[in-house]
Amino acid sequence: MKNGPFLFTGVFLAILISFSALVLGSHSQLGGLTPYHDDTEGGSFPQRTSGLAARGQLVYADLGCAACHTQQVRRPGYGSDKDRGWGERQSVARDYIHQARPQLGASRLGPDLTNLGARQKSEEALLGLLYHGSATHPGYSFLFETRAIAGESSPRAVKVAGQAAGHETVPTERARALVAYLLSLNTSYDYPEAKPYEPAKKEEAKK
Amino acid sequence: MPNPPTHATTAEVTAIDTQARGPLLLLLGSGLVWLVVSGVLALLTSIQLHAPQFLADCPQLTHGRAQALRETAFVYGWLANAGLGLALWILARLGGRPLRGLNWVVAGSLFWNAGVALGLVGIAIGDMTSFGLLQMPRYVQPLLVFAYACMGVSGVLAWSGRREDAMYASQWYAVAAIFLFPWLLIAAQAVLLWMPVRGVVQPIAATWFAQGVWALWLAPLALAVVYYIVPKISGRIIPVYEWASLGFWTLLFIGSWSGGRHLVGGPVPAWIPTMAVVAQSMMLFHYLIILLNLRAIWGVGGTTAAFIRFGFVAYLVFGVAEFIASFRGVAAHTHFTLFNAAIEQLGLYGAISMIFFGGIYFAVPRLTGLAWASASLISGHRWLVLAGVVISIAALGIAGGAQGEGLLDPKVSFPDMFGRMSTPLLINTAAQAVLLSANLLLLVNFLRSACPWTRTAEPTPTLFRAATEEAHAS
Repeated sequence: MKNGPFLFTGVFLAILISFSALVLGSHSQLGGLTPYHDDTEGGSFPQRTSGLAARGQLVYADLGCAACHTQQVRRPGYGSDKDRGWGERQSVARDYIHQARPQLGASRLGPDLTNLGARQKSEEALLGLLYHGSATHPGYSFLFETRAIAGESSPRAVKVAGQAAGHETVPTERARALVAYLLSLNTSYDYPEAKPYEPAKKEEAKK
Repeated sequence: MPNPPTHATTAEVTAIDTQARGPLLLLLGSGLVWLVVSGVLALLTSIQLHAPQFLADCPQLTHGRAQALRETAFVYGWLANAGLGLALWILARLGGRPLRGLNWVVAGSLFWNAGVALGLVGIAIGDMTSFGLLQMPRYVQPLLVFAYACMGVSGVLAWSGRREDAMYASQWYAVAAIFLFPWLLIAAQAVLLWMPVRGVVQPIAATWFAQGVWALWLAPLALAVVYYIVPKISGRIIPVYEWASLGFWTLLFIGSWSGGRHLVGGPVPAWIPTMAVVAQSMMLFHYLIILLNLRAIWGVGGTTAAFIRFGFVAYLVFGVAEFIASFRGVAAHTHFTLFNAAIEQLGLYGAISMIFFGGIYFAVPRLTGLAWASASLISGHRWLVLAGVVISIAALGIAGGAQGEGLLDPKVSFPDMFGRMSTPLLINTAAQAVLLSANLLLLVNFLRSACPWTRTAEPTPTLFRAATEEAHAS
């Protein structure tokens, strides 16, 4: 190969073509997705998250939770996602259109969290896990603060063994936002495109 | 024991080498410092896998942040610096003229290292972007582009000002890597950080970028080194060289299409993972050609050859592993598991890093004009790093296998799954400790060999050989 301009044009075309096809191509396919309006439910889906939960997603991202948790359910029959109770249907692109930074994740050292809010209703249990951790989950005590009880104790205080009398350990604003976000995770609404294609049964076909 | 390729006699050292000595040693040295930093972080993240409470109350080092720090220090600290240093050196030597714009290289590398350091601080305090291989915060990114452009200019000048029109394969790969990376980085920044695309197009773009970092930047940098060094140390011309350009264009045009395998089963259009399977199978052609071209690496002795050979085999095995893992049936077992971490370790450490180690052992004596300071440190590094890489890949692979089986069986709880993985994860931690100590040996040896105040204190060259096999093929 002697021709310098040929080499330059070639390598530039290589990156241009793959970028155009993969990034711009999928953008043109999915970038215009709109919420799905359902008259019977009287609303549009996916629904926007509350302000506190939206702030919680930033905490989720900046702590790097996606290093161990995914937020994508695979179709029933592929992997054990449905059998583990992580979701009745596969995740679809429309689930993520309101998310500023979707946290799909690529590693499952912990459970999938796509529908955590549908199966975990207890704020207390999540705060306890975040503070104490478990055999497989780190305890993030820096998301909590210990303070003297002024008046009534906080309903969100976590139970800490050997806590000094008159003191309580309560979640910080960041922990509350994170828990609000985790409890808001719920994609149980069925979109038309989320239903897997099922071929008509033989008997119906005969009719 | 004769150990040919680690030593250069003064006859081999030309004005091209002496003139570029300072800037290129700066690049290689800063790469090695970052390698040690990322080694500490790799050890830490590995401990966290079997002891989740380790440093859990330190907000700067949650497992997610520590992983991002490790990956950033490794790719942008170690691989970028070392790869650029070697590529610039090769472009200068093959171009037949001293490097131009060396002040830009020095300024660029200082800015680059400052940018990476700032990026790591940003990740630690919670500003990470959460895109793989693009974790450094948005405010650092323009600095990185600027710094890289400063360094890259010298490479493009060396290429465009070459003495002869004809180009060697090594030059194609080096100049393509140097030229493409800024475009890749700018495109990814544009669609992910400055004008973010919506929803799942973000993970698609992030996967495209991460695959591009491999196929359009790191792999070409490593292949530039292999194509340059193999004929030199084997004393043989490259067989079926007329096919080399096909291997090159296959990597560039097809390689960056195969990132979709990381999205299999996800909420993305089905054609993206399907395209990855097609691209991975076409890439086998690339691996076949470079195997034919570079098979002369077998049968050559010495430290450089040992590293290059290991890295080259790892590169080929990585290609086959990626191909197999891209199938949906296989991905059902391996997706979301540490098996992917094992493949990443195979690619980035086993292949690219080992090739760069070989390149460093070859280049440093030629840049300094003196032999490596210590033969025992070379030997220590060589055996420790070989053991560490092999054991860590195997341990992560076994842990990933156990994780995959555990995930597939809904009756297996996560504590049970971790119980099955605990032994390989402990072994991986030991391997990371071995890798860290190995790379400390290399850093010490490099500093003793390259620092001006220690260089003159070396009266007899270590690992001496006569300069008879050097003249050809340059």
